[in-house]
Amino acid sequence: MNNKQMSTLQQQRKVVEQLRREASIRRVNVSVAIEDLKKYIQEHENDDYLLVGFHSQKANPFREKSSCTIL
Amino acid sequence: MASDGGGLKIDNPVESIESLSKEVEKLKARLEEERQKLNDVALSTVAERLDPLPTLNIKPRRVLKGHQGKVLCSDWSLDKRHIVSSSQDGKMIIWDAFTTNKEHAVTMPTTWVMACAYAPSGNMVACGGLDNKVTVYPLSFEEDVSSKKRAIGTHTSYMSCCLFPNSDQQILTGSGDSTCALWDVECAQLLQSFHGHGGDVMSLDLSPSETGNTFVSAGCDRQALVWDMRTGQCVQSFEGHESDINTVKFYPSGDAIATGSDDATCRLFDLRADREVAVYSKQSIIFGVNSLDFSISGRFLFAGYNDYTVNVWDTLKCVRLTILYGHENRVTCLKVSPDGTALSTGSWDFTLRIWA
Repeated sequence: MNNKQMSTLQQQRKVVEQLRREASIRRVNVSVAIEDLKKYIQEHENDDYLLVGFHSQKANPFREKSSCTIL
Repeated sequence: MASDGGGLKIDNPVESIESLSKEVEKLKARLEEERQKLNDVALSTVAERLDPLPTLNIKPRRVLKGHQGKVLCSDWSLDKRHIVSSSQDGKMIIWDAFTTNKEHAVTMPTTWVMACAYAPSGNMVACGGLDNKVTVYPLSFEEDVSSKKRAIGTHTSYMSCCLFPNSDQQILTGSGDSTCALWDVECAQLLQSFHGHGGDVMSLDLSPSETGNTFVSAGCDRQALVWDMRTGQCVQSFEGHESDINTVKFYPSGDAIATGSDDATCRLFDLRADREVAVYSKQSIIFGVNSLDFSISGRFLFAGYNDYTVNVWDTLKCVRLTILYGHENRVTCLKVSPDGTALSTGSWDFTLRIWA
C-alpha cells in the first residue's frame, strides 16, 4: 500500500469516527429547543437596552452630550 | 506488505476505502433522518403568537475616524468603553469610544490585520492577519506599546480571527490553513490544534456557558463546527449555507449558534436539536453577510452586509425589523458591547460607528 492510499484510508476512518460520534448524540425536539430560546429572551429582555431602551437617556453612556447652560 | 512488520492488518486497502465510504454515506443518511424526525415545528410559527416588538430607537452616536484603510476587525474591552480595531493598512488603534479619542496607535509589520481581540483584563490586545501570526501587545501609557509586543503563535496561512477564551493566559486563533489553534500566551506555545475544516476558517466564537470549554468555528467549507477545547475533538457540525460562512456567534444562552454567509443569509442552528431552526433572508437582500451579533437577550440579531447596511432581525419571528444606514462601504465587523448598551460597527469606509 502506498502512502497516498494510507492517508486516504486514515482520513476516511476519521470521517467515519466523527460521523459515528455525531450520530450518537442525544437530541431534543425542535419545539422544545425553541421554547428554551424563547424563555431565555423573556428572562433577559428587561436588561436588553437596545430592545427596551433606557429608563432615562441619562443612563445611556453613549447619549449625546447635552448642551448644558450654566445660569 | 507482509514483511514490513508494522502491524498493518489491511489486506485490500481499496475495498476498505470503499466500505468506509459506504459507511459514511449510511451514517450521513441516518443523521439527516434523525434530525428530520425531531423537526416538529417552525420557529416563525411558534413566534407568530408573540406580541410585536416596540419601535426601535437605535441611533448613530459616535463616529471613530483615524484609520487610513479598510477597518477589518474590532473588539470591545470588558470595561464597555474601549475598543480595539485593526485595518488593511496595518494599523491597530485603541479607542476610547466615549470620547472618540485614540489612546494607542500601533503599526504592524503587515497589511491586512484581519483579526484583533481585547484580553479580559483590558491590559492586553492580540492581533494578526496576513503575517500568519498572532501577536500580543501589553497596553501601557509609560512606554511605546510596540516595544513590548510578543509573537505567540504562527499558522501556515493568514490568521483570520482570534479571541481570548476566559483569561489573558490563552489565545484561540482561526486561520486560512483550515485549522484553529489554542496557544499559551506566557510560553508562546501551541496547546491544542483543531483539524476538521475543509477550507479557510473565517470566524470563531466561545460558548457563553459557564464551563467555557466549547467553541464554534466556521468558514469557507460552508460548515460550522462545534469543538471541545480540552480534547481537540469536533463534537457537532452544521451545514446549510450555499456559500462561504464569514461569521459565527453563539446565542446568549449558549444553546444555539448564528451564522452569516456570502449566500446573503443568516441562519440559526440549535445545538440540542442538532439542526438548523431558522433562516434570515429576504428576496431583496442579495449581498453577503460579514459579521453578526445578538442583543443581550438574544431577541435582536444584528448583521453587517456588503451592501453597506446593518439589518436588524427579530430572532424569533425571523423578520427584518429595520435597517441601520450610515456606513459608506462594506460593513466588516459588528459587536454588541459587553453590557448590551451599544453596538459597534466597522467598515471599508475607514470608520467605526457606535449605535445606541
